[in-house]
Amino acid sequence: MTAPPFRKVLIANRGEIALRIARTCREMGIATVAVYSTADRDAAFVAFADEAVHIGPAAPRRSYLSMPGPIEAALRCGADAVHPGYGFLSEDPDFAVVCAGNGLTFIGPRPEVMASVGDKAKVRELMRDAGLPVLPGSDGAVPTAADAERLAAEIGYPVVVKAAAGGGGRGIGVARSAKDLPRVYRETVALARSVFGNGEVYLERYLERARHVEVQVLGDEAGNVVHLGERDCSLQRRNQKLVEEAPSPGLSDRIRAELGMYAVAGAKAVGYTGAGTMEFLVDDRGRVTFMELNARIQVEHPVTEALTGIDLIREQIRIAAGLPLAVKQEDVRLTGAAIECRVNAEDPDRGFLPTPGRLDVFNVPGGPWTRVDSGFAPGDTVPPYYDSLLAKLIVWAPTRAEAIARAERALGEFTVSGPGVATTIPLLRRLVTHPVFAAGEHTTRFVEELLDGRS
Amino acid sequence: MSEERWSEEFRLLRAEVASLIKTIPGAVSTVALRVGDRAVEISWAPHGTAATAPRVEPELPQESPAAPADVTDPSIRSVVAPLVGTFYVAPEPGADPFAPPGTRVEPGQTVGIVEAMKLMNQVPSEWPGEVVEVLVTDGQPVEYGQELVRVRVDGP
Repeated sequence: MTAPPFRKVLIANRGEIALRIARTCREMGIATVAVYSTADRDAAFVAFADEAVHIGPAAPRRSYLSMPGPIEAALRCGADAVHPGYGFLSEDPDFAVVCAGNGLTFIGPRPEVMASVGDKAKVRELMRDAGLPVLPGSDGAVPTAADAERLAAEIGYPVVVKAAAGGGGRGIGVARSAKDLPRVYRETVALARSVFGNGEVYLERYLERARHVEVQVLGDEAGNVVHLGERDCSLQRRNQKLVEEAPSPGLSDRIRAELGMYAVAGAKAVGYTGAGTMEFLVDDRGRVTFMELNARIQVEHPVTEALTGIDLIREQIRIAAGLPLAVKQEDVRLTGAAIECRVNAEDPDRGFLPTPGRLDVFNVPGGPWTRVDSGFAPGDTVPPYYDSLLAKLIVWAPTRAEAIARAERALGEFTVSGPGVATTIPLLRRLVTHPVFAAGEHTTRFVEELLDGRS
Repeated sequence: MSEERWSEEFRLLRAEVASLIKTIPGAVSTVALRVGDRAVEISWAPHGTAATAPRVEPELPQESPAAPADVTDPSIRSVVAPLVGTFYVAPEPGADPFAPPGTRVEPGQTVGIVEAMKLMNQVPSEWPGEVVEVLVTDGQPVEYGQELVRVRVDGP
């Protein structure tokens, strides 16, 4: 057996993803350091890690979003690399620079690449220059509402106003007519400024009924890039994904090949290294347009793992250590169908209000080809300070129809209850059993139309 | 790095601080700039002095698991680490410690320093009283919420 690429990895994250990263590290013979806030002191990811350091109070700004804690903890514990997970500091180029400045390998792309793809307005231009199709929109940021109105008239309504520094489905506003635009522009700028600390926004044509299809890519330091097929994330509500699957139903071989080609070309154009996701929209006529490049591991990465048999965290770690990609494009085999359901502590009947609380009952499903990634155990309390993700349920089967049946079966086994706790499980069951989903005819508008009683 | 480069960096840093002071609510008490590591250190007046004081965190570090169970004397309070880093009892090596046992302290008086990412964070006592114990030796790593110094608070 070859020596592990790192001795010890500090995981600058929490919850299910921190645990998932630590599991792969252990399989690779790498020791782990967890960092945690006061609210997470009893969490499973803390108990699982070889070492754990208390870095701050519950408020993310003073714990998981603060750089000194993980850096000091890494130095103290003798870690040689830092895995940022998703969210928090994962897409902050400054954090990657600070890691490097302290002799720690940041497990992710190079900071300059993170900076250029993190600016959503700029990456649009980079991809257009690399020959990828983009939606009609502004060249870079739109500084004033008057500019926005002039541009929108050229682009044609509806238009979407997006925060240049946005991500995770936040900082997006849709204007259906010139009447809406000043308000949408103002609101998006204000939100971008308060949430992302950067009020820059850009404009794009809004596609009413499209599919959100993203392609997983891996790039190594030698400049090799492969793609691992697509994931369809069209079942979403207000840009928050609820169900993801692969392969994307109803894609022709031509579109699938086009997506793979664009994903690799785009990643190569920016010198991408590590695991990344190229997001596209596919409209009802099969036209593909680039949306954004996410420079991190994604929540829904297990869907790709299920189809390819490739552990994406392991690949991230290997690439960060300077090792070449373990697979060539022709070695990538996409087998069967996989579905991921995000079980959130939210009440769909009350506008998806988060429902933090104690999990008196938390029975996760098992059985064949059924994977549950969760940071919680029975008796745990879901803290109110972080996202509401309770668990990801991922199922695999040889065909999509069997995968749907398996997802339905597994959701039926999944029981969660506690004082005040509601979950998205009933809604997920409704979605995966819906004839429109079974037929693969849903678009990004489907969930909202269903909830409005229009489907 | 050339002289010109230094001053350019300093100018940028100063502009950054000026904008920070304008955008963050509360009254600023001290500002420290350093160009070598591009450090910026800003201290705000203790909350309550300004009408727009930043929101106080809802939880107390004293509730952390590091807080001692053996202290039953209600007049003994613990000063805990405000962040992860290295604890120092004195402002610089060889200098007199801030607050060895027996020292009288007032609220806001520094009892130690926690260094994190080359920034020195002064740790004040919140209470008037006498330092009875310093629990961490000089130069040792500390976690957030770890008990550093015990103070016997003045009686009513």
